[in-house]
Order: sequence, then C-alpha cells, then structure tokens
Amino acid sequence: MKLKTMTAGLALATAFGAGAALAADDTLDIVFINDGHVAPYHVAWLTGFEDAIAAYDKAFEDVKVSGRWLSAEGSLEKMIQQTEVTINERPDVMFVNAINVDAFEPLVAKAQAEGITWIAVHSPMESADYSFTLGDVANGTNQGMAMCALSKGEPFKVGVMLGQAGNPSGEARREGILKGIATCDNVEVVAEQPADWDTVKAQTIAENWFTQYPDLNAISGVTDAYMYPSIAIATNAGNTDIQFYGYDGDIPIIQQMESGQVMADILLSGTREGWNFVQMAYRIHKGETPEKVYDFFTPLVLTEENHKIALEHGFPEDVQVYYVPQALEVAAKGYLEFGPDSVK
Amino acid sequence: MMTSTATLASGTPKKAIDSLMLRYLVLIGLIVIASVGFSIANENFYSLTNIGILLRSIAVLFLLAMGMTFIMLTGGIDLSIGSNVAFSGAVGVLTLVTTGSAALGFATSILAGMLIGGINGFFIGRLKLSPFMVSLATYALARGLALVLYDANSINVDNAAFLWLGGVSWGNMPVVIPFVALVFIALSVLLYQTPFGRDVYAAGANANTAFVLGRRPERTLVWVYVLSGALAGLSAIITVGRVSSGQPWAGLYLEFDAITAVILGGTSLFGGRGKLLGTILGVLLYGIIINGLVLTGTNPYLQSLIKGLILLGVVLLDTLTQKGKAA
Repeated sequence: MKLKTMTAGLALATAFGAGAALAADDTLDIVFINDGHVAPYHVAWLTGFEDAIAAYDKAFEDVKVSGRWLSAEGSLEKMIQQTEVTINERPDVMFVNAINVDAFEPLVAKAQAEGITWIAVHSPMESADYSFTLGDVANGTNQGMAMCALSKGEPFKVGVMLGQAGNPSGEARREGILKGIATCDNVEVVAEQPADWDTVKAQTIAENWFTQYPDLNAISGVTDAYMYPSIAIATNAGNTDIQFYGYDGDIPIIQQMESGQVMADILLSGTREGWNFVQMAYRIHKGETPEKVYDFFTPLVLTEENHKIALEHGFPEDVQVYYVPQALEVAAKGYLEFGPDSVK
Repeated sequence: MMTSTATLASGTPKKAIDSLMLRYLVLIGLIVIASVGFSIANENFYSLTNIGILLRSIAVLFLLAMGMTFIMLTGGIDLSIGSNVAFSGAVGVLTLVTTGSAALGFATSILAGMLIGGINGFFIGRLKLSPFMVSLATYALARGLALVLYDANSINVDNAAFLWLGGVSWGNMPVVIPFVALVFIALSVLLYQTPFGRDVYAAGANANTAFVLGRRPERTLVWVYVLSGALAGLSAIITVGRVSSGQPWAGLYLEFDAITAVILGGTSLFGGRGKLLGTILGVLLYGIIINGLVLTGTNPYLQSLIKGLILLGVVLLDTLTQKGKAA
C-alpha cells in the first residue's frame, strides 16, 4: 500500500509540475549531474543551483526556467545511467561533473546530437560545448605560496591531504599546492595521503599525522571537507598552533580564519558555483557564447592582517585576495555576482 | 530434483516453493505498479529508447547478482565483486593494449576475475574463514590492484571487437541483453540440472549434513566464488564497452546493488533458499525504480529514502510471509 500511495503521489506531483510548465512560451531546462550530494560543498552547490533556478524563473517572465540535479553518489555506472536517461529527456543544457571524463566521451556526442548543450564541470573536455573549470593549478599554487609567505622563512612541516587517486581536479590541486610550496625552501612536505574526498578518512589521516609528526606545523587539503575533522582533532588535543590551509570556500571554514586556525582558503563556494551555472546556461540560451573553457573566478581568502604579513614575506602582489568579510558575503550570496540582475 | 533442494532448504518442499512463488508474484506486482506509475509520471518511461537504456544499465547488475545468488545460496557473501570488475577490466584492457588481441583481452579479464574469486573461495571454502572478512579484504585488494595497474588513470579503448558487447545496440536493444539471457539459461541449467547445483543448495542449507552426505561443501564454495569472479570479469568487459575505456573506479558500490537485488529476489541471507528467477526480478525492479526516479526528477535525498523503504517493505513482507506459513 505504501508503494502504491507513493507512486501515485509521485505521478500526480510530476503531472502537476508538467502542467505548470506548459504556461511559458520559451523554456530553459537545465540538468546538473554531480558525483555526490552530501559533502558540505555539494550541499551548498546544489542549494545554490536550486535557488538560482527559482530566482531566474521568477525574474524572467518570457522564459520558463526549470532544472534539477542528480547525484551519482560516487558511482561511475550510476552516473552513466543518469546521463543516458537525461539525454533521452532532452533538456537544453547539461552540466556534468564527470567522475572520469574519458568514460563520458561517447555520451557527449549523443547529447549534442539531441541538441543538448554539454558543459563539462571542473575537468575540461575538448568534445564538450563548454567546460566550466576552476583554475585548480593556479588556485593550488596560491595556497602553497600563501603557506610559504606565512611561514615567514622558518622551518615548516606540512602534510597534504589529496583527493581521490586519478581524479583530474584533485590531481590539479595537488600539482598546484606542491608548485606553490616549491617556491620556498623552508617548507617541507612530510606526508601526502589521498582521503578520497571523504571526511571520515580525513579524520583518520589527521589522527595518524598528529601522532606520527608531533612537530607538524600545518595541514593542507584539496577540499575544506578535510578541514572540519582535522581542526576538531587539533582543537580537542589542545593543539592551537597548527595551521590549516583549505580549498573550497566553505563558510564555516572561512569563519575560522578570524580565530587564526585557518590561514588561507580558496573561494570557490558551492553557493556561488551553483548560481554561476544557471547564469551561464541562461546566457547561452539567450545566444551569448561564453569562452569554451570558462574559468570560474576563485580568489584566495586571507585575513587582512595575514595578507600584509604575506606581502612582507614575498607573496606576489598580483594574486587576487578577498578578505574574510567580503568572502563571507560573496560565499553566502551567490546572487550578488551571478543573479538575474547580472544578465539584465 | 527441485524437491530435493527445497527439502534441504526448509524441510517442507511445498512451503518453500509456495513462499518463493508468492515472493515472485509480489515482485511482478511491484514491477507492474512501478512501471505504470512512472509511465503516468513521464511518458518517456515506456519509450523504446528508455527501455534500451534501462536494460543496458542493469546488464552488469544482472550478471553480478546471478553470481551473488550462487554465493548467498551457500550462506556466503562477496563484497569484492565491484572492485573485481575494476581489476579484471584493468587486466583485460592492458592485455588488449599490449597485444592488440581482443580475444586475449576477453580471456585474461575473465581469468583475472576468477583469480580474485579463487582467492575468496580458497580462504572461505578451504580455510573456513568468514566470507564477510575475506571478501572485505579482497574488496580492498582488487581495487588497489586496479589503481596500481591503471596508475589511477583511465585508458581509452577503440578496439571495435572489445567494445562490441557493452557498446553496440540492435536498434534500441543492447546486444548485451540477449547475452545476459544466455548466461541466465546456462546458470539455470548449472544450478537446477547438475550435481554442482544441488551441492550449492546443500552447502547453504546445512554444510555439516552435506559433508556427511559426501557433498564436499568446501570444494563447492571454492567454485562458487570462482564462478562469481568469472561473472565479474564478464561484467568488466561489458563496462569497458559501455564507456569505451578502462576505468580504475568502475564497479564502485555495485556489490551493494547486487546484494540488494538478490535479497529483493527472495534469496535467503542464511543460504539454501532462493532461485535465479527471483534475482532477475529483483534486478529488474531495482533498475526500474532507479530509472524511474531519475526520469521523474525525484529529489536524490528522497530517492535514497524510497529505495530504503521498498527494500524494508519487501523484507518485512518476506518475514510476515514466512511467519504466516509457519503458523
């Protein structure tokens, strides 16, 4: 009985939604297929995407803007299936954060044959109509250089937590961080370990590092998801000297900059990215042609005080830096940069 | 013959058969209800294109779940099959790239799958270690080997023969579906028409009794895991064909999907009871639900909830049915 009720409810809800969609002349249907949906960054990202869909739909009476997101929950096979089903639905624009881009090459052609604009997310694809990238190497380099500058030339030991082995975005971030660290000779990378984007694995790694390297000065990560357990473990152990260098622009992590534990972060911000997706899809729908490889603007976040210290210790002046209040505002309000007003 | 297997399972042949039949009727009912519901919600659901997509997407699950059925009939479990898909795919693809021979690629992929299955079987059957612990170890071992062999990167494959099984369709019908049907027939013959099949049921119903009766359950266990490994190797070939590349992260979490489908299909977690037909229905229901939830744009947070509720509902129904029969 439960299933019958649920199925009927599902059918009614969808039928009602479809009926409402018939009211607009011009439609823009956007689908975002992501590799996950539970990490704090993902939650902010998907929420930003949903909010932006609603805001654009409300702001433009001539276009019915609709959209949905799907999560492959880390499974390549599930993502392939979701992509195939979605192509059969023929949305206007698909954002696909492919677990591995090679596996999706055959599907790009299928989507394009159906008139769907394929936007590869994070890992660029030559065959895609557009690629939405993060400038991971440059961002990682900025994080590494910030560590160099803020270590003030003193001997400094750092452990670097990596993404999933073989993931292009994670590999690019690692490359950047190590490149940035290599600009000085006082910072030593004592350990590198993949945590597979997993908070629980990050917790285990941090515990091991704190035991194995009692003189560890910092933990650097390719995602803020690793910062939460690492900070908690350090705090619980009374270790307030250790520094953290994050990547993602999660609001709770940026907030911890003022207390001095988190030294630097990269302001992706899931909320901003979700809003930027919808803005980009809308621009394409209106006939604009963004750059084929579109770089999401992702500044480094520092406190004003640390920025001054960093500059005094050789940090390049041309690196764009947001201070904490500005970063927090932008991270929380994607519509400040990418809302309907930005394309009116 | 079926009477003898059912007797080993429950001691009351008619009851065992009836409860399984009831389970299949319930599954068929659920499949019909889900199909009608999703078709009303989105007419694309019953389009030939979507049916082709649905069947292709569950082809690998069909194979893995059939292997898992053999294992669960013996009272075991295999957590390594998803990782084994990645490992055996790596061996097959690297053989193909090195030799240029699709036939060798096929053979080594299946042999690599059998190797992991053989390791499982040896430790579980011969050394009598816990299936959960052994296959948990090979779950990590096989994934690690895949990552090392691939150097964590995918490898593109353009050999038409190697890609044929997983990538080609006749109209909207993926060629892999008739292939899976043939495998189903072959495995059904193996399970229901041969002494090996009777040994599988016997090992799961009561290994000690089976031993006393001269059934050699330890040897049966080894071969059951080898069979499951071979099916993982076949699944790897299909996966490579589907994505035109070898993938180090292929098969992730597929073991859970396979276990879910087998349980849905009525195979007992404690062994000795179940049939391949139930597994096929379980996979079909699982695939329809996943496909339909995507098509209807159901919120992914809700999707997990719905999948969990359905599984819980079927397990509950199963328990109530068993209690009803016992009373």
